Amino acid sequence: MNIKQKALTKSLFAYHAATSPCNNCDIEILDLFTPRHDVERFGITLVGSVRHADVLVVTGVPNYKTKEKLKTLYEQAAKPCFVIAVGNCACGRIMFRDSYNSPCPVDEIVPVDAYIPGCPPKPEAMIAGIVKLIEKLKKAEKK
Amino acid sequence: MNIEEKIKDALCSRASGWSRHSPKRVYFSVRKEDILETAKLLFKELGMRFSIASATDTPQGIEILYHFSFDKTGEIFSIRVLLEDKKSPKIDSIAPLFPAAEWIEREMWELLGIEFSGHPNLKHLLLVDDWPAGKYPLRHER
Repeated sequence: MNIKQKALTKSLFAYHAATSPCNNCDIEILDLFTPRHDVERFGITLVGSVRHADVLVVTGVPNYKTKEKLKTLYEQAAKPCFVIAVGNCACGRIMFRDSYNSPCPVDEIVPVDAYIPGCPPKPEAMIAGIVKLIEKLKKAEKK
Repeated sequence: MNIEEKIKDALCSRASGWSRHSPKRVYFSVRKEDILETAKLLFKELGMRFSIASATDTPQGIEILYHFSFDKTGEIFSIRVLLEDKKSPKIDSIAPLFPAAEWIEREMWELLGIEFSGHPNLKHLLLVDDWPAGKYPLRHER
């Protein structure tokens, strides 16, 4: 495709958007950056501002308050911006489906490119998910 | 004189329904008019720490538990208050005594509809600001 997307697959900068999770997924995400898994080897790193991000890593079930924030975050991100939903909650709300404070799943607010299920997913599963996302982007590049 | 006796001594007949569920968990009930005074006694005079408050919708009415921790012995004293009027439950706010109670009272107000009179800033905490008035998610419909 274009050079931007090609460069993107070499080093994904991720912004961590926690939409009211229980913090379990967040801890596992942080595990990715510790020496044992160290995804920085593959050029993946966490950034402090969504303006610098290529990937939005979403955890948790959005509620009425964080739903608006997630929408704003996605609007503020430089495009192309890909979204990864981490954990069962972000993938499909599971047990919080009928909760009074759960308006919709993540993929109704922002377009999700990769789903990583698990409660919480293992860091290995997350790496597998990121690899699949990169493969998907590379395939899109060739077309 | 241990701390339980001190409370019994100070409150006399106003505290009732004493029960010790485990060596470190003590429960007692007061009427809703006496809550401010009881909280003042436990916090200011006996030097206890306010841990948290919790409220439940029970068939008898809305029940609030104020949990106070006595760190010298590790005991937790829970004051039980029953608000029988479910249509418009109302109780004195203890937030003027210690600001730590401010947020939990805001939460109890929005989720169970308990009016805290004297609260300095009673507005939504967890729910959105334009949440429909009179809709309390943790109330049971019986």
